[in-house]
Amino acid sequence: MAPKDFDFDIGEFIRHHLARLTRRARGGLIVLAVVVLVLLIGALSSYYTVPADSQAVVKRFGEVVAVTGPGLHFKIPFGIDTAETVAVTRVRKEEFGYRTVQAQRKSQFQQQQDDESQMLTGDLNVIEVEWAVQYRVARPEGQANPTDPADTAAARWLHAVRNQQDTIRDISEAVMRRVIGNRLAVEALTRERAKVQQQVKAEMRRVLEDYEMGVYITAVNLQQVRPPTREVRAAYNEVNEAQQQREQLINEAKSYRNEVVPQARGKAAQIVAQAKGYQAERVNAAKGEASRFEALLTEYRQAESITRRRMYLEMIDQVMPTLGKLYVMDSNQATPLPLLNLDGVPSLKDNR
Amino acid sequence: MQRSMQVKLAAIGIGLVVLLLGFWLCTFRLNETEQAVITAFGKPIGEKANDHREAIVKQAGLHFKLPFIREVHRFDKRVLAWDGTSQDMVTAEQKNITIDTTARWRIEDPLTFYRSLGNEERAQSRLDDVLHEQVQTTIASTDLTEIVRSKGWEIEEEDLKQVVRPEGKGKQLEQQVQTGRKELVENMRSEAAKTLQDFGVTLLDLRIKRINYVDQVQQRVFERMISERQRIATKFRQEGKEQAQRIRAEADREVSEIKADARRESEVIRGEADAKATKVYNAAYGKAPDFYAFMRTLESYQKALGKESVLMLSTDSDYFRYLRDVEPKQDDGTASPSAASNE
Repeated sequence: MAPKDFDFDIGEFIRHHLARLTRRARGGLIVLAVVVLVLLIGALSSYYTVPADSQAVVKRFGEVVAVTGPGLHFKIPFGIDTAETVAVTRVRKEEFGYRTVQAQRKSQFQQQQDDESQMLTGDLNVIEVEWAVQYRVARPEGQANPTDPADTAAARWLHAVRNQQDTIRDISEAVMRRVIGNRLAVEALTRERAKVQQQVKAEMRRVLEDYEMGVYITAVNLQQVRPPTREVRAAYNEVNEAQQQREQLINEAKSYRNEVVPQARGKAAQIVAQAKGYQAERVNAAKGEASRFEALLTEYRQAESITRRRMYLEMIDQVMPTLGKLYVMDSNQATPLPLLNLDGVPSLKDNR
Repeated sequence: MQRSMQVKLAAIGIGLVVLLLGFWLCTFRLNETEQAVITAFGKPIGEKANDHREAIVKQAGLHFKLPFIREVHRFDKRVLAWDGTSQDMVTAEQKNITIDTTARWRIEDPLTFYRSLGNEERAQSRLDDVLHEQVQTTIASTDLTEIVRSKGWEIEEEDLKQVVRPEGKGKQLEQQVQTGRKELVENMRSEAAKTLQDFGVTLLDLRIKRINYVDQVQQRVFERMISERQRIATKFRQEGKEQAQRIRAEADREVSEIKADARRESEVIRGEADAKATKVYNAAYGKAPDFYAFMRTLESYQKALGKESVLMLSTDSDYFRYLRDVEPKQDDGTASPSAASNE
């Protein structure tokens, strides 16, 4: 055979062999199909989109090479590069002791097993605690952005811990129980709630930081903290009622006191005033009588005999007419005999 | 041209396939979550030199290996969870409790792990044994208070009052915590970790997830809580009654005191008034006691004698003197002025 010119014109080449392939019908079609398939796979696996609330962890042959933000990105196709998206802005929630049903509408809290919510307090009593933990895939606050993409929160979320949710739940339960276990039942039920929330959040953050799992606890919220059964709750309520009763009894007594004492004071003032009135009256009466007597005395001194007689007769004038019975007896008589009976006789007064 | 092109194409095709195959056989990919142990004929490589660093691969990415001869055993590099089943145990002071522990572990040394346990299933079972035993031993020798409370357990005086208990329990509440929950749990962990290290496993933490009374005991505890609350309620009510009574009694006492003081003052004033009046009277009447007697007696006659009175007068009475004699002798014995003037 004569050597040919190796004139490799690609267009000619393809056209020529395409013609040959199509002429080869079945075999050619298979190859064509395969080629098309391969190209398609290649095309589809060469890009990926990241939603607005997420980041994507890009791995080449399994090794983290980059973390990308929202949008359209390209990567090496055929599975050499893989991109896993992680929602980083979404706030995730874990609930304990209860479950929210139909979160879109009004939450209907359904009681979960008592096991999750019952725990021992420091005084070895039992209470029920329902709480929720909110977290995000994020690095702890104040930490600088890492240089190695494998250290980002999204990457750590994917690679550090196998069961992320379970781990968070286990840690949360353990921490909550430790914190409650260091408090009296009354404290946990009433005034220490805010402190408990704070402590649990802080401790959970510490623990999870040690695992470096790319989780940041944003909030710990106590939903309900209460005594375990209806009967115990009733007993706790009874204490509140008793406290109120105590206050009521004391207040009633106080108002009795506030009523009775001022009343007594009023009465006392009245008594004293009356005495003072008597005093004034008596002294004034005495002074009045005394001065009347003295005036009379002055006149009397001037004509004693006449004044005496006048006074005497004036008295008689007054007394005699009003007398019931008047008996005049002879001084010589020993036994009283009615000689002059003024009674029944019309008096001189009547005849005037 | 055609045939040589065909051959070339075939050659390219085959070459590509061989390349890919070779690539696939001579490499392995390790995910970030994985680590691997490379063995040759069942034994980890590098044994001759007693250097097994070659056998352990932890770095993610693409790695090369000899095809067919070398095998790759993959293990999880991540933090793994162990969740113990709820177990009933007895504490040092014979309290029956149910305890649920949880732990986190990691295959730190995959080679040792491969040699000793081989797979995760066996590891879980080994963890069950070691950890359950450790927990049980620790719990059996610890008081419940030490398990539940942590260091820094302090109870305020006023809170103690809130919690009315029989004598002994009050002490229990005040009891300082010797070890505390954290340290206790940490001790358990470190003890168990020593054992597990032999398997290439690092025990990262061991925690008490749940601790409760056993069901039968639970009921008694609830009853105890109820009666405790009832005692406190009674105490409050008692206090209320007592204090109310005290306030009322004090109020009554104060009232009597006020009234008594007032009466006393009233009497004093009245007494003083009487004294003053008497003084005034005496001062005045004392100037002419006879005249006073006279005047006062006349007043008395006026007041005393009336419709109901029966009066007996003697004819000698001075009132009737003019009935006896028109010119009677004067009181002082001298003749009457008219008689005197007639002489």
